[in-house]
Amino acid sequence: MCALIVIFLVAVLVTVESHDEYESALFQRTQLLERGLNMMLGNDLELSDAEEQVNEYIMELKRDEVDFGFSHPQHFNYSKHFFDYKDEVQHTQLFKIIKQMPKGALLHAHDTGMLSPEYVMTLTYLENLYVCFEEETVKFLFARELPTSDCSTQWQLMRDARYSSGNVEKFDENLKKYFTLVIDDHSDIYTDINIVWKQFQDYFIRTTDLFTYEPVWEQYFYDTLKALREDNVMYLEIRSVLPGLYDLDGNVYDEMETLASYKRVIDRFSKDYPDFFGAKIIFAPLRSVQPETVKEYLQKAKIMKREYAGIFAGFDLVGQEDLGRPTKDFLKELITEAEDIDFFFHAGETNWYGTSSDENLVDAIVLNARRIGHAFALIKHPVLLEEVKKRNIAIEANVISNVVLKLVEDMRNHPLASFIAQGLPVVLASDDPGIWGADPLSLDFFVTFVGVASRHADLRLLKKLALNSLYYSTYSNKDKIVHEFDIRWARFIHNIQTNHL
Amino acid sequence: MLLVIFILCAVFGQTLVARSLNDLNFERQNILDDEFEMQVGGRLRLTDDEVTANEILMQWKRLEVSQAFNNPQYSNFSRHYFTYKHHIDKSNVYQIIRKMPKGAALHVHSTLMLSTDRVMELTYEDHLYACFANTELHLQFSTTVPIRPCPVEWRLLSELRNESSDVTSFDTELRKYFSLFTNDEHITNGDINYTWDRFNKICRTLKYLISYRPVREKHFYAGLKEFYDDNIRYIEVRSGLTKLYELNGTEHDSTYLAHLFDRVSKKFKEDHPDFCGIKLIVTRWRGINMEQMQEVIDVARKVKKELPDLFAGFDLVGQEDKGKPLKDFLPLLAAQDDLQYFFHGGETNWFGTSTDENLVDAILLGSNRIGHGYALIKHPALMAAVKQRDIAIEVNVISNAVLSLVSDVRNHPLAAYLALGLPVIISSDDPGVWEADPLSHDYYVTFTRVASKKTDLRLLKQLAINSIRYSALDDEGKTSMFKLFHKNWLEFIQNVKADKRLTDTVY
Repeated sequence: MCALIVIFLVAVLVTVESHDEYESALFQRTQLLERGLNMMLGNDLELSDAEEQVNEYIMELKRDEVDFGFSHPQHFNYSKHFFDYKDEVQHTQLFKIIKQMPKGALLHAHDTGMLSPEYVMTLTYLENLYVCFEEETVKFLFARELPTSDCSTQWQLMRDARYSSGNVEKFDENLKKYFTLVIDDHSDIYTDINIVWKQFQDYFIRTTDLFTYEPVWEQYFYDTLKALREDNVMYLEIRSVLPGLYDLDGNVYDEMETLASYKRVIDRFSKDYPDFFGAKIIFAPLRSVQPETVKEYLQKAKIMKREYAGIFAGFDLVGQEDLGRPTKDFLKELITEAEDIDFFFHAGETNWYGTSSDENLVDAIVLNARRIGHAFALIKHPVLLEEVKKRNIAIEANVISNVVLKLVEDMRNHPLASFIAQGLPVVLASDDPGIWGADPLSLDFFVTFVGVASRHADLRLLKKLALNSLYYSTYSNKDKIVHEFDIRWARFIHNIQTNHL
Repeated sequence: MLLVIFILCAVFGQTLVARSLNDLNFERQNILDDEFEMQVGGRLRLTDDEVTANEILMQWKRLEVSQAFNNPQYSNFSRHYFTYKHHIDKSNVYQIIRKMPKGAALHVHSTLMLSTDRVMELTYEDHLYACFANTELHLQFSTTVPIRPCPVEWRLLSELRNESSDVTSFDTELRKYFSLFTNDEHITNGDINYTWDRFNKICRTLKYLISYRPVREKHFYAGLKEFYDDNIRYIEVRSGLTKLYELNGTEHDSTYLAHLFDRVSKKFKEDHPDFCGIKLIVTRWRGINMEQMQEVIDVARKVKKELPDLFAGFDLVGQEDKGKPLKDFLPLLAAQDDLQYFFHGGETNWFGTSTDENLVDAILLGSNRIGHGYALIKHPALMAAVKQRDIAIEVNVISNAVLSLVSDVRNHPLAAYLALGLPVIISSDDPGVWEADPLSHDYYVTFTRVASKKTDLRLLKQLAINSIRYSALDDEGKTSMFKLFHKNWLEFIQNVKADKRLTDTVY
């Protein structure tokens, strides 16, 4: 009997032991995976019961899409070009929810790239617009009479050109192509980064005179704010080269007047929509200039800050980084003003490594930029990555922009996945959504959530990204704006519960 | 006295308030220096001769990178490997890398290591029957028409070749069954499953060809020769130990191929005394069930017993996304304490799926090294574990581009692994199938396209050193390999210095 018991005990112990080994492996596995998940952006947020319910619902939607893509990679949208899926995804339930979601602030966007080509087309129907069709481009000018400025063909009233074309629909269809980068055969046309950047910059050049007509300028910006509000964004910091505006009498104004015009629009919009928290301007002139010019820029920036303290956020330089001058060339000028002016530099919007454009990241950091635009290359710089964390410099990620402007093809290879996994201070932004037919911000949130972040990343990530956009903004009364955000968030959660659960 | 203090304070106070350009440049340089030192090879000290060779190398590298940076329209840096592969040998950087002693190749599948040119020669062997069934080519060596069913017709390949009006174009067509290489962008842009289907088809056809014992001997010997000529002195090959057959139809057992590897590599070492040999990692397709897993573990253990010097360890292979996750085999794999593991892990760009979580299991199962580790960049906790436990990552950058993980290699996570100074080795996976050099192309792409423009000879040397350090050789084996490596390295440095074509003015 005793022997039997011993045998029995030994048998139990042996199975327990091998079972234990497996159990302990499983336990360690869970621990290690959790340690990773705990580092993820948003993990510090606690969800309420209501949020948990909503989270379960959206995670079901997300996992459906990811798991389908996992078994059918040929149908996974986010490994493809944005143009190939942008219309299709807007019909999905998950996108509609993200659209409704309060997204906080938009912190990285350029003022004349915000609205759709359809919107820009409506501007071409305005009175007093002259047009000059040249071989590869088109020029615009609002004037009382036939412009005398350079035109290799001839200036004509837009209205005359349109109605004498014989086919208005076709005329408009062709004209619209000048206001967008979206084309069907993108992979055949946009064969390298410089080609797509050339098209991109040509858009800004050719629309300048269309947009800088003062009434249009104000209307465009007013409608930008409206589009943001409708996309559930509550506050904006927008970059502008602050081009000189003009009127029908041929008067041309300076950048201070442009800023004044912005102020008028912001005031008017805030009055019309008191639930919007306004906007600030980041003065962001072209980077392909001499150091003396940067010095002049900064002098202007100081005046702007003094005279328009309420809407002036800071300074940046824009243009294709690989081609423009590196920030290093302007260190002397920039450090002189670093005490006075907040910097929001574009840096590391490149997939080169060890080049001047890549090292703009170092300069942005040593100059104590408050935020860094793109920082796509940051993943290759572990020391800088630590500095970004230590100095709490936010990264403004623009994932759709990076695909359209040919930094990365498969969204899953975007470094934002790692930034989120490491819990870096990240905000999502949209750069120039109008030019690639995206909405003001929701698509960037959606693509990040489904295509970039971990399959496990949930509502906490979305909420954290929205909160970050408020936290890393220059909005003065953070408590007030976060408080209002919380109210809207609760309402959003409640709506999803009521309508979907 | 008070005045002095006052003045000092004022001066000091001022420097506190406004940072000067000097401070800024100092801080800037410090950060860049820290980063340089942190990267793989950053702490190596170069001898005077190495410094000279490095200057020559870097002159060419900077020229090459700057040209591409300034003229992306003429450069193919962002494009598929197949678009630039034929231009690589024009590069002086490549010419230097080709001659460089590279130590060991640690992640190579034996079936796919031989160049397509040499594989094509093997199709000229006698008694080779072919069956062109749809898009797949079946092959069998036999004295009579094979009895294995063929949906079309078994014909002697030699007869088909002779009957064709044009042998060259016959071989060009035949070659397509053995190589992924193509100029057709629609094919190279296919999704990952499409690419893997093409890849798996080639693997099957190659296996038909080399399951015949005498051909397998030639195939492996020729493979070793190509690696040797690429200045590799030691290889760890992965093999599923396919059963081989003789002309009369006799089939050998599953450890036979291991003995063949042992025999052929010894013969090769006799012919090339400075070759350090091979070790074997026994693999099996990751789609198998638990019972089959037990069988293959038994086979591995048998190889270990019969050929203790040859045997390195065990791994699972095949497209990770489609196979079973390691987790499914955890109870069995965790219970083995006499087998070393060299698991593939995270060869995927999915995030938070069963595939990328193979990385956790590879680490927990005590894997000696991790194959690919492509997804590791998204797992900071695992990256820390890899560093802490000194688990080497076997990176195969061209493989990842060809097998549809990344299209622009500048976005390959290897750049970050190098920057972080992770334990990295460079390997080539299946160079024969995409017609790459045994290892030089992977080194070249890593050095010029993935790593920083400023990264220099130190990276190359460290990668070669890592390949010895993280090999499965015992201490004695490593020591003798290091000795050989240093001797070859010195010669290499002298050759670079003396090469007139390299030192003639760089324009």
